[in-house]
Amino acid sequence: ARNMAAARRHKRVAASQPGFLRLKPDLDHSASRIGHKKRVNKNKKKNWNKYSDIQDVEEFLEDVRLQERATGGLLSDKSDDGLFFVDVGEQKVRPDPGAVEKKGKGLKPLRIDLILQPDSQVPPPKDILAYQQPNARKLRLMAQKAEKLAAMGVLPRRERLLQRRRIPGSEKPVANNDPARAFYDLWRPDQGCDVFSDPPPRWQRPEKLNVKPSLLPAVEVAAPGASYNPDFTSHQALLLEAHETEVAKLKAEEKLARQLAVRKEDLATEESVFREQVEGLIEEEEEKLEAEEDDEGTAVGPTAQTEKKTEKQRKREKADRVKLQKKAERKAIDSRQQLFQLRTISAELRRREQQTSVRRTRRKDQQEREKVQPRRLGKLRFQAPDLDVQLSDELSGSLRTLKPEGSILKDRFKSLQKRNLIEPRERAKFKRKFKVKYVEKREFREIQ
Amino acid sequence: MGGLQKKKYESGSATNYISRNKARKKLSLSLADFRRLCILKGIYPHEPKHKKKVNKGSTAQRTFYLLKDIRFLMHEPIVGKFREYKIFVRKLRKAYGKAEWGTAEKLRGNKPGYKLDHIIKERYPTFIDALRDVDDALSMCFLFSTFPRTGKCHVQTIELCRRLSVEWMNYIITLRSLRKVFLSIKGIYYQAEVLGQIITWLVPYQFAHDHPTDVDYRVMATFTELYTTLLGFINFRLYQTLNLVYPPKVTHSQPAVMLHFDLLSEFGFYCSLLSLSKLSALSASLVRVVSTAEAEEAELDHFPAEGEDGEKLAERLKARQDQDRQEKLFEGLKFFLNREVPRESLAFVLRCFGAQVSWDKSLCIGSTYDVTDETITHHVVDRPSLEKQYINRYYVQPQWVYDCVNARMLLPVEDYFVGVTLPPHLSPFVEEKEGDYVPPEKLKLLALQKGERPEEEEDNDDSEEEEDEDQSDDEDELKGMEEKQASSVKVTPGEAKPVNRQRAEQEAKAEEKRLAVMMMKKRDKYLYDKIMFGKKRSVREANKMSAKRKALDEASKANKKKKLKK
Repeated sequence: ARNMAAARRHKRVAASQPGFLRLKPDLDHSASRIGHKKRVNKNKKKNWNKYSDIQDVEEFLEDVRLQERATGGLLSDKSDDGLFFVDVGEQKVRPDPGAVEKKGKGLKPLRIDLILQPDSQVPPPKDILAYQQPNARKLRLMAQKAEKLAAMGVLPRRERLLQRRRIPGSEKPVANNDPARAFYDLWRPDQGCDVFSDPPPRWQRPEKLNVKPSLLPAVEVAAPGASYNPDFTSHQALLLEAHETEVAKLKAEEKLARQLAVRKEDLATEESVFREQVEGLIEEEEEKLEAEEDDEGTAVGPTAQTEKKTEKQRKREKADRVKLQKKAERKAIDSRQQLFQLRTISAELRRREQQTSVRRTRRKDQQEREKVQPRRLGKLRFQAPDLDVQLSDELSGSLRTLKPEGSILKDRFKSLQKRNLIEPRERAKFKRKFKVKYVEKREFREIQ
Repeated sequence: MGGLQKKKYESGSATNYISRNKARKKLSLSLADFRRLCILKGIYPHEPKHKKKVNKGSTAQRTFYLLKDIRFLMHEPIVGKFREYKIFVRKLRKAYGKAEWGTAEKLRGNKPGYKLDHIIKERYPTFIDALRDVDDALSMCFLFSTFPRTGKCHVQTIELCRRLSVEWMNYIITLRSLRKVFLSIKGIYYQAEVLGQIITWLVPYQFAHDHPTDVDYRVMATFTELYTTLLGFINFRLYQTLNLVYPPKVTHSQPAVMLHFDLLSEFGFYCSLLSLSKLSALSASLVRVVSTAEAEEAELDHFPAEGEDGEKLAERLKARQDQDRQEKLFEGLKFFLNREVPRESLAFVLRCFGAQVSWDKSLCIGSTYDVTDETITHHVVDRPSLEKQYINRYYVQPQWVYDCVNARMLLPVEDYFVGVTLPPHLSPFVEEKEGDYVPPEKLKLLALQKGERPEEEEDNDDSEEEEDEDQSDDEDELKGMEEKQASSVKVTPGEAKPVNRQRAEQEAKAEEKRLAVMMMKKRDKYLYDKIMFGKKRSVREANKMSAKRKALDEASKANKKKKLKK
């Protein structure tokens, strides 16, 4: 009986499976089921889950989840415009002729980009493996310890070595002409400069270098005639000076021209031309004879000369002796007579002293003048700058209409040269050097 | 003979000098670097007395330096920096040639540079030494600050020069020590007195000028480099002596408005152009480190120095009083500068003497009041005519300001009105000795200074020689005496003539002198005549000049009359 009950149960269960094909199609399934409802005890916890059918709720929730995943929220919550559009056919949009096309400002994102954007409300899942660090705690503790040490001032070994490698002068140097550079009190007694503040005694600046090379003042004020509104006399004086320099220049040029000009005596006359043409053609015999005689006179034998000379020598010696004697006598007389010539002698001495003193003063004056003059320091001589002067018609009485004359740059440059600080130089000329071409001689070319 | 013979050119002056090329090779520098080094260190070429000896027999013109100077140069650390720079340039060029841009950038970031502080300290061991050389430095800095910022010269140098020149002008304004100004066709010459040193410098006009081609720019740039460093240190020290804040800050009259400008200038030195331009406006006073209320009020007691009498002390006091009076020349006056006048120069000069200055707002920042302000006393104009004129102010041309400064008093304004032909601008740097020609305008000025009324033009040609006066007086006296003798024969009770003691003394002295001259020996008299002839030469020249001037004046008067008749 029990086996039969189990078999029956088994059949019943199989028949109630969906998709079970029956021989006789049962139109009304309820006929077999009426009265055969199994009674279940839903009060037991075991049966809460087993016999409650929540399929519809589950379906509904699945549907909601699908909507959230796929379409970005419930479709019922979306507005009509987001889902549907009224198709009224194509319309040609006429551009407004008055509106200016703005590039960039009115740039809206493309519609296709908007459509293709992911609009799901379900965020992608977080990859926790990416956030996992096996020794996070260890690293955190190490960082805290390092912070504590740094707060106390102890640096890790790596930093210490790096800092020891740093060279004090190799940090970015401040340029000398930086407009925001800082200055300090250089002449304070205990102030040390950055570099080389205390050189050893044998490297110190020699005293002679502290003497200025010229006694001229650094800035020489212009003459009163160079005022922008000068008074008559000083302006005339300045014009006169400028005039004199110009006249001197002209004179020098004229002198040169005069010296180089052809003299009237050098011009060829007919007579001189004739004489030149005839020169050497007419021989004069008298001149020849004279030349021959002179030659004969000098050719004499050696023996005859020595005899003459010995006699001459004796005579000469005697004459010399006599001369010496006479000299000594004269000297004695002179030294006795000098006593009576004292006045003239003193006058002579005074004259000589005066001469030397005059020469001394002249030399001193020359030295003083040299101190003020520009010295010759190089190949070129110092060219005095042109006087800045405005002619009477160029003078404007007002500061507004003043046209400045001369350049201060040039003035300063010349002043530096005048004070012997730099040597006068001229601009280096651009010399064109041509490459030498080597060409074979015609003879060499022919030999092949 | 034989043995130790002295060879030529092995000792003496031939070994003390070294030619420029040899020196350059000894230091292993290029010519440009060698020149720059010499300029920076202050080593100048020397001209030897016996060039042939030094040049070992040849007479070629060479540049010579003292060997000791070149040996001193070898210990200079800057030489190493020059060589580093040369290597840097070579590496950079290689990097560019190989197109290694990364290397080039790295190299550029580590460009080697040098500082000149130690050179300044070595060349000018004390502050006064440095002050003596500041004329040149100032002129260079002012010149470079007017250059156009095209890039031909480093723009940084130009800006640094501008900053230093503005700082200097502000210092002079605070010190109130400007003494003389001269407007020449080249530029403006200023003379001021700083810590007992008289400093003259030249400032170019602000108009554009074309640069001459025959000036070596590199040399001038090197000098400027040295001088900017020098001037910077001098400025710092000078500001310290006056207890001013360095780098200078400007006090604000309206704190509410200027607050955000103040904040900007807190960060760093001149990070904002604004603070520099406010300084360059020259219209506001500088901030001090210590409050000035007590410092200014305390007047120093005057103690006589050793060896001075009471007279000298009185003289010194008087000189100081004059100076104080001169410093307050324009005190209390309010000036307004029109657009066409040189604003910076006039603002500088006016503020140096205590005036208040302002200008149109659109010209430059820092204008304190507008043209419509009623309390303006003087309005500086340079136009031929001006339409709108306010009643209670004088309209003057800019020369009035400069002439007042030179004359050390306020000149009458009538000669300098708008549209009036200006009197000539005389140079204050000319000191006329006795007997020199004094132009009539200067005579007028001297008379004004003495307080007399200006005389008419005909009487101005009197020379002020004592001897001439004496002689003419004596002649008149003699004539008068003769006349008296001739006319009055009667005997009348005598009148007590008031004896002018001074006159009597002078007469006695003149008598003595004449007697002494008569008593001289012939030889000595000859010499004396020669000397007097030489002395009177200048007087004769002066008379000639005045005669010329008279002729010119009469001619111009005649012309004027003719024109008037027409």
